[in-house]
Amino acid sequence: MSDTVKFECVAGPFDGPANGVAWDGEGLLFALMEAQRLMRLDPATGDVSEVRKYTSRTNGIALGMNGELYGGQEASRRLIEFLPDGSSHAIDALLDGKHHNHPCDLSVDSSGAIWFADSFSPVLAVGPQFFPPLDHASVLRVAKDHRRAWVMRRMTYDTKAPRAVLVSADEKTLYVAEGEPRHGHVRELRAYPIGADGELGNYTVLHTFGADGRGPQRGIAGMCLDAEGNIVACGGWSRNGPGALVYVFSPNGAVLESWPLPADMPNRCAFGGADLDTLYVTTAAGELLAGRTPRRGFVRTAKGA
Amino acid sequence: MDIDRVSPEFDAVIGDREPSLDTIAHGLTFGEGPVWDRRENRFLWTEIIGDAIWEYRPGVGSRKLMDPSGHANGMTFDLEGRLLVAGWSSRSVWRMEHDGTTTVLASRYDGKPLSGPNDIVVRSDGSIYWTDPPGALAIPGMEGHDQQRYLDIQGVYCLTPAGEVHLAIADCTYPNGLAFSTDEKLLYVNDTQLGLIRAFDVNPDGSLGPGRVFHKLTGAEEGVADGMKVDVQDNVYCTGPGGIHVMNASGDLIGRLMIPGHCTNIAWGGEDWTSFFITTFHTVVRTRLGIPGVAVW
Repeated sequence: MSDTVKFECVAGPFDGPANGVAWDGEGLLFALMEAQRLMRLDPATGDVSEVRKYTSRTNGIALGMNGELYGGQEASRRLIEFLPDGSSHAIDALLDGKHHNHPCDLSVDSSGAIWFADSFSPVLAVGPQFFPPLDHASVLRVAKDHRRAWVMRRMTYDTKAPRAVLVSADEKTLYVAEGEPRHGHVRELRAYPIGADGELGNYTVLHTFGADGRGPQRGIAGMCLDAEGNIVACGGWSRNGPGALVYVFSPNGAVLESWPLPADMPNRCAFGGADLDTLYVTTAAGELLAGRTPRRGFVRTAKGA
Repeated sequence: MDIDRVSPEFDAVIGDREPSLDTIAHGLTFGEGPVWDRRENRFLWTEIIGDAIWEYRPGVGSRKLMDPSGHANGMTFDLEGRLLVAGWSSRSVWRMEHDGTTTVLASRYDGKPLSGPNDIVVRSDGSIYWTDPPGALAIPGMEGHDQQRYLDIQGVYCLTPAGEVHLAIADCTYPNGLAFSTDEKLLYVNDTQLGLIRAFDVNPDGSLGPGRVFHKLTGAEEGVADGMKVDVQDNVYCTGPGGIHVMNASGDLIGRLMIPGHCTNIAWGGEDWTSFFITTFHTVVRTRLGIPGVAVW
């Protein structure tokens, strides 16, 4: 085990929580969901700039194989692509003709397909509620068909509250952080095998978070991969359990390392920096934390590249 | 139809008949944009999320006039009888020509795309006023070409007869319905989020003076400030909790028309402009009132 990683706040706190995070090659993008802003940290200067506003409560963000920037707009119950020219294009797809729930986290595979956690949110979408929520909260996948039209599929049939999703480095496994810290939920890190047909098989549990007299532990809120294919996950809180931590899980669930965080309720994490060895973590208090680690982030390349 | 009579003034609004509601359409997904076409003797409305413009001809029935419509919202006519549309998701004010083709009249202010024209009214000099809240950019089922909001204000705009787009009101929270007083010396603009109606003095050149609160809507029932129109006696009709709220020219509530469902907009029509059409989320209903509405061009 290495010496623990020292994290410090490099941006914020901003108004409301900081959420999705992604490294764009030179800067660190992070979403402020409640403030409806998308920000960018330039690590070379420490400057933070506003990349986009009016983001319709964008939570999770992820980059595609060609640099496409996607977000999950919880207030609009849709995925969005933020284009470099400043426009925003909705991913035009329904699930069997129905509007899905509130996409909170996403992961893009090497084919360009977007896997996302489609959870329920206590905050209603904007405007009249014409479209009831789905009768399930699942991991969904949206990909372009041969006509370049987005097509959405339901991937999990056994989730109650998927919070974070991550396609493994070899793309044979989907990691899912399942469950909210409330009664009736399990909080598990699950590994679903991705079959040759694209469907998911039965999951295995890599890690389980418990509960005690202080209530349920918070579990995992965000995940990314290191270059060795390990799962780097942030989660926890001060209310119970071991507190706010970054965990490094091996693909079979062994806890390889854990790094305490100096702030409560981490939300998402991503590697960045010139050597991809800095882990950035967003928090519920609107902070962006950063710590140099002995690990490097995984870089996915496009299929066939 | 249930009546909530607040003041004896409301008796004239109701008239001497027992008010009833006829259903013109049902099964809609976000009915809106009601307008009477006096030249064609027909009633038009929009189905916003259903993405269509509908036509109803008395004694004949209903049909879709346009589908898709760019999630068209409010509608009115210009002085030449051409249909004007607040294109909520197309982010434009556009006109349907007499031959059925369409012309975009305005889509930008200060070089930036509009957020989403919501409702629309025409002054006697031909100026077109519309509200521009950002709702269309975020509401599920309203997706257009570009969902990004660019303007930092939720304004009311005016397209002058010379073709210039002016910002008429900048300080709205969520501007929605708008209507002129009968003498066009006042422009009423409601605000959905604030739940109130403001009155703005209209200058001879069409610019507006500062606004003052004309009426604050009350009620715990379903419904918000949305569509708004004026009758020939200068009573102001506005959707609100429970149905349609009617205020006298002093801004005092004189009564409510209690309408099933969530009302979105209103319009008078018929030969004598006493037929009163109400759009709701899922229906279009019609009644008859005692005071005619201000005729649409």
